[in-house]
Amino acid sequence: MNGDAPPLPAPGEEVLYSESFPIRGNDFEHGGSVAARVKVILKQLGIPSDSIRHLSISNFEAEMNVIMYADEATLELQVLSGEVRVILADRGPGIVDLDLAMQEGYSTATPEMRQRGFGAGLGLPNIKRNSDVFSITSTVGVGTTLRYAVQFEA
Amino acid sequence: MAEREHSIYFDPGKCIACVACAQACPTHAVRVREGMARLKPELCIDCGACIDACRYDAARARTSTPADLRRFKYTVAIPSMTFYAQFGREVMPEQILHALTHVGFDAFYDMSWMVEMVAGATDAWISECRGPWPRISVTCPAIVRLIQIRYPDLLDHLVPIETPRELAAKLLRRKLVAELRLQPEEVGIFFVTQCTAIMNSILAPVGLDQSYLDGAFGINELYGPVLKALSHGEPAERELGALAASESVSRAGLMWAMSGGEISGMRNANTMTVSGVREVMGTFDRIESGKYRNVDFIEAYVCPGGCVSGCLVIEERYIAQRTVQQIGRRLRGQNSVKEEKIRGLLRDHFFAMEDEIKARPVHAIPRDLRQAIAWKRERSALLDRLPRKDCGACGAPDCGTHAEDCLSGESSEDGCVFVRIANLEKTPAETRGNER
Ligand SMILES: Nc1ncnc2c1ncn2[C@@H]1O[C@H](COP(=O)(O)OP(=O)(O)O)[C@@H](O)[C@H]1O
Ligand code: SF4
Ligand SMILES: [Mg+2]
Repeated sequence: MNGDAPPLPAPGEEVLYSESFPIRGNDFEHGGSVAARVKVILKQLGIPSDSIRHLSISNFEAEMNVIMYADEATLELQVLSGEVRVILADRGPGIVDLDLAMQEGYSTATPEMRQRGFGAGLGLPNIKRNSDVFSITSTVGVGTTLRYAVQFEA
Repeated sequence: MAEREHSIYFDPGKCIACVACAQACPTHAVRVREGMARLKPELCIDCGACIDACRYDAARARTSTPADLRRFKYTVAIPSMTFYAQFGREVMPEQILHALTHVGFDAFYDMSWMVEMVAGATDAWISECRGPWPRISVTCPAIVRLIQIRYPDLLDHLVPIETPRELAAKLLRRKLVAELRLQPEEVGIFFVTQCTAIMNSILAPVGLDQSYLDGAFGINELYGPVLKALSHGEPAERELGALAASESVSRAGLMWAMSGGEISGMRNANTMTVSGVREVMGTFDRIESGKYRNVDFIEAYVCPGGCVSGCLVIEERYIAQRTVQQIGRRLRGQNSVKEEKIRGLLRDHFFAMEDEIKARPVHAIPRDLRQAIAWKRERSALLDRLPRKDCGACGAPDCGTHAEDCLSGESSEDGCVFVRIANLEKTPAETRGNER
């Protein structure tokens, strides 16, 4: 992993449920399967469907980014009272210019990837839009870490 | 919902408690308990998967009977498009329609024209609609039920346009009452259905207070009598001139027997078709996650390939598809349906559903987050103790469902034969006799 210590809950916060899912780069065959498994879990936990929808959109985009651009990653799901959090840390090339990567329409996807419906350059901005909390950090040559959360009335 | 509102029931005299139906059910609505298959009414979508799966003829459709016809002074049959595809490529829809007047109906009505009107209305409505995308067809009632219980977020995606069969029955009743000077309740309008889902949509309609249809006969029941009546040729005497609209049968209408038929009659080409309940669920999962937002309209059927594989058909699906293609070529393409007229009717709410389609969530899971997490942990722990063979011997379709049934108190862990064997092996031989 990229050396980031696992995030600790802030004082007073309690992670009620957590689960980790590995994702492999280039694993197009299972593209979207982690997002689908997380969705099943969130449904089982009775998380409001709106929140599930937002999270599922983000999880799918984030998972596909790992498959397309990174080597491997672990998606950590954390459920707190009133909040679902996702920490996705990958080992991979990292992102040189984060501001650029966050821009709508910016993509380094190949024309072939684009033809297959990937690489509209909307993934990261969409994740941000669908989250109440969002951050991205990256170290070139090491990897990228995304953190996002959706909050709901507990 | 009371069980009698479902159009499927199990015949205790025939059920051998084999669990084939429970394992076939896409919504896990069947359990075998006390030697007999039983429906969980809140979960059943009336798709008929259990009827297809049952090898003992114990899963039955609750459809109309000849006795139901006797309640009316004047009876009309409206065949589903699938009915036209049951008698091979030599028999034209017109002959089938006439044959219906020899098997107990006073008249028949073909709904091709209404099908085309609804396709046009869907086009017009979508052109003015602002999302959410994609919009989803309401033609298959099992799909609507599936969305109500499993995908409440997708309710807003449904096209709020009434189905051709209901609209046809509504118009027809008005027409008959006026022309024959009858009371509305003296006219019996019956659908000839390919499935239990449509029967259920008549028994317990969604989006409608009460169905405009008085019932439905299964294709399987009318097939024999109609086949025999086909040779009669001449229409029965009581047939109404005004209703001899057999010339109206069109290719555009007939295509609705198959998946792809609905969108083939639309102008909008930014559409998709999905069929087969598991594939539909996969698609709905993806829509929930935000996929397909650039698609305008999705036509979805729980039956693979569309209504030609409904649970009450006689003809094999692939043959029926061929029949649709071949008869279709000999029919006229479509009736003259004017776009202006459709837009006018749309503004007058002619096509509109009367009621809102509401969610019907099934609450197996506690609402409180901590309790839900505890429930999930218990479920996983239980599942770890179960054999994961999904054998069904406990009466639930798979080990995961059995675990949930244990948590709800509906069943117990040792309902599983493997758990019972393991318990026996653990128990010292001398105390075994005292075990219950
Ligand atoms: N996990 C990642 N590792 C390396 N680069 C990434 C990663 N995620 C995104 N990127 C870069 O950011 C760009 C924008 O990402 P995104 O907004 O998801 O659009 P898209 O995936 O359509 O290109 C990508 O084209 C890629 O260059
Ligand atoms: S696909 Fe057609 S036959 Fe099958 S359940 Fe739906 S409406 Fe009935
Ligand atoms: Mg992306």
